[in-house]
Amino acid sequence: MLLELTGISKRFGPVEVLSDVDLAIDAGEVCALVGDNGAGKSTLVKCVAGIHGIDGGEVRVDGEARHITSPRDAAALGIEIVYQDLALCDNLDVVENLFLGRERRRGLVLDDDAMEQLAAETLSSLAVRTIRNLRQPVASLSGGQRQTVAIAKAVLWNSRLVILDEPTAALGVAQTRQVLELIRRLADQGLAVLYISHNLNDVFAVADRIAALYLGRMAAVLDAADATQSQVVELITSGRSGQLGLTDQNGVRP
Amino acid sequence: MARPGTEELRRRNRAALLGQLHRHGPQTRAELTEALGLNRSTIAALASDLAESGHLQETTGRSTGSAGRPSTLVECVPKALAVAAVEIRADRVRFALVGLGGEVLERSEAALASGAEPVSAAAAAAELAGSAGAEAVAAVPGLVDAGIVAHSTELGWAGRDVAADLAAATGREWRVVDTATAAAVGEWSRGDAHEATTLLYLHGGRGLTAGLVVEGRAQRGGSIQLGHIVVEPNGRECACGLRGCLEAEMEAFGYAEDIEEATLAAGMGDAAARDALHRSGEDLGRALGAVVTATGPDEILFGGWLRELYLSAAAPVRSALAGATLPHLRSRLRLRTPVLGDEGALTGAAETGFAALIDRMR
Repeated sequence: MLLELTGISKRFGPVEVLSDVDLAIDAGEVCALVGDNGAGKSTLVKCVAGIHGIDGGEVRVDGEARHITSPRDAAALGIEIVYQDLALCDNLDVVENLFLGRERRRGLVLDDDAMEQLAAETLSSLAVRTIRNLRQPVASLSGGQRQTVAIAKAVLWNSRLVILDEPTAALGVAQTRQVLELIRRLADQGLAVLYISHNLNDVFAVADRIAALYLGRMAAVLDAADATQSQVVELITSGRSGQLGLTDQNGVRP
Repeated sequence: MARPGTEELRRRNRAALLGQLHRHGPQTRAELTEALGLNRSTIAALASDLAESGHLQETTGRSTGSAGRPSTLVECVPKALAVAAVEIRADRVRFALVGLGGEVLERSEAALASGAEPVSAAAAAAELAGSAGAEAVAAVPGLVDAGIVAHSTELGWAGRDVAADLAAATGREWRVVDTATAAAVGEWSRGDAHEATTLLYLHGGRGLTAGLVVEGRAQRGGSIQLGHIVVEPNGRECACGLRGCLEAEMEAFGYAEDIEEATLAAGMGDAAARDALHRSGEDLGRALGAVVTATGPDEILFGGWLRELYLSAAAPVRSALAGATLPHLRSRLRLRTPVLGDEGALTGAAETGFAALIDRMR
């Protein structure tokens, strides 16, 4: 397993946001993380990305226990996160954004040619045909193209796990389709993808496994091939569905 | 068993070398040696043979980044051998002249009046393709067997000898394949699906068909008539004469025209559009359940407007599929959208032609 979370818990003061959460993600698969607002999805990924420290439990990468205390630690382990708000610089072009903060140099000057070539290779390996001019400023791109750049930026750094927090939330229908295909392609090229979404259609379109959080606890992790929409909805809204889901302290399904 | 003679052996090896380069692109001699399992000197002799005949050339290729002389690359000469590929759709005929190695040398298309007869489609194809290419292949949506289009919802043809019509219009021989199978071949050979042992391609046009490629070979005997799987016994009447066909239940022709509109409306929150998409997704999932159970694919590609339908209604599609297939069959099943998009059928038609050409060289 590329990433294994066992017994993760996290408190903000007296509030227990995550309690005893287990999740494992392997290379080549898309794991969707679903749950209602406040279920703890974003907190969980922020723990993995090193933005929040954890109060209990263990994070293993390639089977080795790791303490991820900052985003830099996460990046060093090949974990990249793409946020909802994308964090791109409008005044820079596509190549400059992709390499921002990690520019290639040749001696004292920037190696523009090498960066442009690498950017083009990355985008073409992801079968991105929507961005024609790599030197156009990001401000001139559509929402879907921006999301594509943000995802490509995460992929460029030999990353192994890409975490996407609601990447299609702000997109139109056609752009959503493109981003979904891109997410699937990332995993098919051997990356692990942790994908947070509210939209069950999007989840079913790309996920190999579906992990449902309910009030800070992991209700169930299902194979997408076996799951049905109504099962997942029940897990999100009540934490259980038939034989699946959470039990109370006495082992009884509430 | 008699051993093949030297000349025959050499011919076969030449075909294998050309096939390898056609499919995998420029390679060094060392890579070719490894891929074909032939001796280094044999490769050198074959390569110079084929260079003499103009089929391939050697170039000073990519630098490996390390010190030393960059290795020479062997590559196909696209213009040396070409295939004329034609795709007949309800509203137009598309043509591509594809060179060795997969490069598109020429491309054009012509409009086709709705309800056009095979003869006028053949005339349009003749106009576009002329006598270009060493082999000519046409992709036609529907049930195609040995050049005869037995049934095509999309074109409204039944029992038409399209191969003969094309031959009469152009004075040359044509292979006729069905669009879905052609697209499956295209995606397997030039797309992203070459790891699939059994690849199922679903084609959404004005009818719904599916093509099967097993270990890189198109299934013989025509496509799977996905649109005429009955999903609702005693349901709506279908143009084919049955009742409750997938096509009829989905009102598929409407989607062929306005899938964008339907998915957009559903995305904006139109409850009626969302319900319709949801129901269509369920119907598709159920019909797919039958196809998966019968053919056991490890990858399904949603082509044509089914791409939009799948990406907008994946939850009902997968939910229905999960309820209609055995766990063993669905656990290794990958659902994907095609990377070649609209080009799949033309690409696949060309690849079908190249497979025949290279077979003939053996």
